[in-house]
Amino acid sequence: SLVIRGEKDEQVVLCSKDKTYEMKIADTSNMLLFIPGCKTSEQLNADQASCNIIHSEIAGFSNNYWELRRCRPKLKKLRKLLMEDPYEGPDSQKDQTLTISKYTTEDLLSLIQASEEEILHHLQAIDACKIEGYWRILEFDYQMKLLNHVTQLIDSESWSLSKVPLCTCLEELGPLEPKEMIEHILLSYGRKYIDDAGEVYFEMREDKICRALGQMLLQNAVKFNLSDFLEVWQQSVPEGMTTRLDQLKGLALVDKSSRPETIFLLKVEDLPEDNQERFNSLFTIREKWTEVDITPYIEDLCAEKQTVGALLTKYARSSMQNGVKVYNSRRPIS
Amino acid sequence: EAASLPHSEGAGGLAEWVLVELQGEVEPRQSGGLAGSLLGDLHYTHEGVPVLIVGHHILYGKVVQLEKPFAVLVKQRATEPDPTRADAHYAVTALIKTKLLFKTRPKPIITNVPKKV
Repeated sequence: SLVIRGEKDEQVVLCSKDKTYEMKIADTSNMLLFIPGCKTSEQLNADQASCNIIHSEIAGFSNNYWELRRCRPKLKKLRKLLMEDPYEGPDSQKDQTLTISKYTTEDLLSLIQASEEEILHHLQAIDACKIEGYWRILEFDYQMKLLNHVTQLIDSESWSLSKVPLCTCLEELGPLEPKEMIEHILLSYGRKYIDDAGEVYFEMREDKICRALGQMLLQNAVKFNLSDFLEVWQQSVPEGMTTRLDQLKGLALVDKSSRPETIFLLKVEDLPEDNQERFNSLFTIREKWTEVDITPYIEDLCAEKQTVGALLTKYARSSMQNGVKVYNSRRPIS
Repeated sequence: EAASLPHSEGAGGLAEWVLVELQGEVEPRQSGGLAGSLLGDLHYTHEGVPVLIVGHHILYGKVVQLEKPFAVLVKQRATEPDPTRADAHYAVTALIKTKLLFKTRPKPIITNVPKKV
């Protein structure tokens, strides 16, 4: 079966189990009659001998129909809902019994304009977890607190970053934090595997950990001097990990025009979901973009089989600046 | 892209209906709406050309295999009516892959042509 989703102020979508479609009504001046029992000439051919009249009832008629066009699931709202009440840990001052801003899977299915599979997939992508039946996102600071426990333990035990044992983590860190949270942070920032002896280990994800620590540093300042930032950032990551600017794609932007060069936080998930609005806001932030800089901020807009190049052709105008191709807005931005 | 739906016919699968597309409108001969009235007779020639006789008009059409099939949806009642939520579930009742398109001008059927006196 199919489900139509949307609140009164949203454009309607139709969802199958794993896909989302925009619904548009199409009018025709012709009359469309739908006939359940109607046979085509091939079906009648077989019965040459008889000359019976087959009474078929016209089930109905219409002048319009709905056209479906596959679209991106509208998932920005999902993050927005879960950010209403991020989980701050068991020591949080907040009243944990309040359930107003807490959402179960059923709640999300009726509020988010996306198919069930797309919703569940996105929940995993944003590292949400179920706590007491509700989907929650961990507050960033709490995530960093948990991650710090793990990285400190890795350091004190001198474990390899690609062989972190779940068991020992739970034992050692259990007294500090709920075991589900320790396991969750390992799942979020590591890749789980089971060795030949059946023991569960995690291969820590260097890029994701460096990215998170970069975010932590950038959150606390409007702008950072780039070279200062790079130094502090490298020092803040676990031993054995190497920071690289491309780990911050879609999270931070370098301003190469300022002297000295600076870096500031710009999260793609904070930008509008609608294509035109996204481009408008990007061109408001910066007048001209290179393809390399803008790509992380628009690639999530690509429809099935659409390329970033196609998006740029549609929503931007290109020109050359100092021998480099740059993109700016098609229309003046106020 | 059409929604991917089960397209088997017969027992356990989805029924397949046919669409008849008429240019213009159909009006009831007498007042009182179309429901329950006879529209007309549908025939096929030996070549498989559909012929529709409506009233005293004859229309010739053609069989078109739809590039984008239609799905006929019927609104389902929510199993637990919940006044705080208004979910809509639609079940696919039938698929339409073929249409009979009648877009030529209806020709009046003259059955009695008086001979020249």
